Amino acid sequence: MDVYLHLIAQGLAIGLLTGILYVLIALGLTLIYGILHIVNFAHGEIYMLGAMGVFYGYVVLKLPFAMTLVAILVLSLLLGLVVERAFFRSLRGQWLQLVVASVGLSLIIQSLAWVAFGIQEKNVPSFFTGIVSFAGVRLPMERLVAAAVGAVLVALLYLLVYRTKVGLAMRAIEEDEETARMLGINADRVAALACAIGFALAALAGAFVAPIYSLNPGMGLEVILMSFLIIIVGGLGSITGTVLAGLLIGVLQSVGGVLVGAEAAYGLVFVVMIGVLIFRPAGLLGKA
Amino acid sequence: MKRGLLGLVISALVLLPPLGEPYVLHVAIVVLIHVVYAQALYVIMRMGYLSFGHAGYIALGGYTSALLATKLGISPWIGFLAGGIVAALFAWALGTVTLKLRGIYFSLSVFAFAEVVNAVFRAFEVFGGPAGIAAVPRPALFGTQLTTHLQFYYVVLVVSLVSLFFLYRLQWTRFGCTLLALRTRATEALAESIGINAARHKTFAFVVSCFFCGVMGAVHVHYLRFVSPFVFTFFLSTDLLVYVMVGGLGSYWGPMLGTVLLTGLGEQLFAAGYYKSLVYAVVLLVVILALPGGLISPPRIFRRGGREPAVPEAAAATAARER
Repeated sequence: MDVYLHLIAQGLAIGLLTGILYVLIALGLTLIYGILHIVNFAHGEIYMLGAMGVFYGYVVLKLPFAMTLVAILVLSLLLGLVVERAFFRSLRGQWLQLVVASVGLSLIIQSLAWVAFGIQEKNVPSFFTGIVSFAGVRLPMERLVAAAVGAVLVALLYLLVYRTKVGLAMRAIEEDEETARMLGINADRVAALACAIGFALAALAGAFVAPIYSLNPGMGLEVILMSFLIIIVGGLGSITGTVLAGLLIGVLQSVGGVLVGAEAAYGLVFVVMIGVLIFRPAGLLGKA
Repeated sequence: MKRGLLGLVISALVLLPPLGEPYVLHVAIVVLIHVVYAQALYVIMRMGYLSFGHAGYIALGGYTSALLATKLGISPWIGFLAGGIVAALFAWALGTVTLKLRGIYFSLSVFAFAEVVNAVFRAFEVFGGPAGIAAVPRPALFGTQLTTHLQFYYVVLVVSLVSLFFLYRLQWTRFGCTLLALRTRATEALAESIGINAARHKTFAFVVSCFFCGVMGAVHVHYLRFVSPFVFTFFLSTDLLVYVMVGGLGSYWGPMLGTVLLTGLGEQLFAAGYYKSLVYAVVLLVVILALPGGLISPPRIFRRGGREPAVPEAAAATAARER
């Protein structure tokens, strides 16, 4: 029994730490959805590119870790700007075309990645070694650091959206784009910024999980699935809802994995989503 | 003229194959199967719904028939139907919950559903686990197993022509026309105001769409003689979307055109591995950016006086803010 409780506590802690990384990716999705009204399928690929970036920067080129991170940040921001300009802007308002274009983009990035990176799984050594024990729960340092960075990024995004002028513009566009444009808000520029920030969050999340998982070009798919579930459960466009749902689903997946096995835990998460759709169709904290 | 052309195509499909080599027949079988998938997907895309998980329903149909045939020795002919029915039942269950929502919520829930279906097939040994189910038998007719490409080609041809005919006629029934009225939240409210039960119509459309995917999935599995969690993946779902969007949503013939062109092309690219998705994706993006109405619609520059594009895009624009 004691062993069981201990396992659950361990699962809970790991679940929370993983949940924060899901939150990072899901927040980018929610941010882009709020302004462009698309769910960006290519997001999982950006996460994958972030992780691959660490492998090629830190392991292959032997750059310092901080420098690798800065490079990933800059490149992902640029990629976000380019993608918004090249694909999303000309399709504004065409829901079907936009979503399908993002699927196309995802396929392009992934198939290029398979060609460029090969099928060999890649491993990145830990940036931070060591294990922290707390009340009998043992947590690897690298996961703690990743979660801490994730929490900081979430807090920064929160400040950006709710405490700055740009954030105000974002929320205005989400509320009513036409009126926002009439009031002189440059919606295209804000959309580009949202896209860039979303991409950067996903890439950084990828960078920090690089030492935790084996890397391959298909790794984005599972994460994007989880992020979709999270934004459905949390409510599209709601930052707080996304954070809550991300932590909830991270915990469900991890504790469920301990109790009933990983595949069944998948099913459990899905059941939660269906339940939310039945009783609160707009998500836990979404606007109905 | 149109009818004559159709008759010509059908008689060619019936009469020419005995002359073809097995490889050509293989391509023809694959194309026919995918045409039905795409056309079934088109049923719900016509009412403004986008599915990222039709492969899940195809897998349900395929697994049902494969399990019936290998574990219980039930004839594949019954299995085809059973596959369709199982897919339809699951579609009904998910549809009643999620079709109330518009736009992306529905798409994402179907996507999640398909991933879970795949995870379940992978997890349990009853379903063959990651290795899948091998030695799925071909159906037999008058005591002979239909083992050659040519024999099976005719099975596929009959099933797909029947399905395609049904799906074609469905559009012009009262039911099919009502689906067009459900494209946006505003028109849906209008339809409801004159007494149309929108939820029931949408659910039934989704069930029909998945039924044909299930039947064809079963046929597909009996053609491959094997099924595993890696056969009907997310990539199949997206491929189908690509076919429909590249062909164009404006007419029944759009998805068909897209499928024939791209699956034909895809077979040629098969050896090229990952380049296949790459080529598909590039074609998709080029078509979407240059011809938002798909190949079936004339390019913008040929359209007179900047006329508004056909209904789907206009509807999609209004649907953008809805869930």
